[in-house]
Amino acid sequence: MPKVKDPAATPASPVPGKKSRKTEAAFDLWLQKGLHDIYDSVAREPIPDELLKLIEEDRKR
Amino acid sequence: MTAATTQPTFHDQIIAILPKLRIQALALTRNRAAAEDLVQDAVCNALSAQQSFIPGTNFPAWMHRILRNRFISNLRKRRDTTDIDDVPSSVFATEAPHEDRLALKELARAMTRLPSDQREALVMVVVHGMSYEALAESTGCAVGTAKSRVFRARRQLESWLLGETKETTKTARQAASLLARRVAEGEAAENPRNYA
Repeated sequence: MPKVKDPAATPASPVPGKKSRKTEAAFDLWLQKGLHDIYDSVAREPIPDELLKLIEEDRKR
Repeated sequence: MTAATTQPTFHDQIIAILPKLRIQALALTRNRAAAEDLVQDAVCNALSAQQSFIPGTNFPAWMHRILRNRFISNLRKRRDTTDIDDVPSSVFATEAPHEDRLALKELARAMTRLPSDQREALVMVVVHGMSYEALAESTGCAVGTAKSRVFRARRQLESWLLGETKETTKTARQAASLLARRVAEGEAAENPRNYA
């Protein structure tokens, strides 16, 4: 009698230590989100007045 | 009939690129105060050298190169002021679950351990959405080198955060792994064809 594969017995993740392309792709997606979380707020911070003044003064010359 | 469009002036272009310069500076220096100083220095250099900019050429690449050169020149003058605890406050201010915050904090720390050229390349491609060609032009290297820097940065972070190395705590590794799976599941649900 042929053996029926039990789906519950199938490991949910790849063999430990063997990185699949899916793992790499998942990590890259997570990395993208993480880097945006870290750096986007830095970009949104207001520009210091001193710096803007420096640029505007040079513009008037 | 089309409305007349006015070209942004040199000074308008500097103001517009400031947020991106700030991110590049933070990626290079790993320190908020040093990053602010570096942006200011780069702007001063750009204002002094504005006659050498050829209108119509790639202004962002020109400006990113000035900031990078200034960073290198500062490094030669003084020792690098490393502050690996200077993680952006947004990492701690987020309302994300504990495990997400932990993984984000671990990512921020891992970023500080990358070589500065790899960290800069990764941030400019991933956060700014810059092409490899633009990255190469902005950092004065070959396109192949630019690609290689981004690739090595990604794989190094993956190795640190998901790998079985001693550097990463078990909890953070589990959190990063869980988050990676969660992001992939969300992505797969949104774009099922990509995952068929």
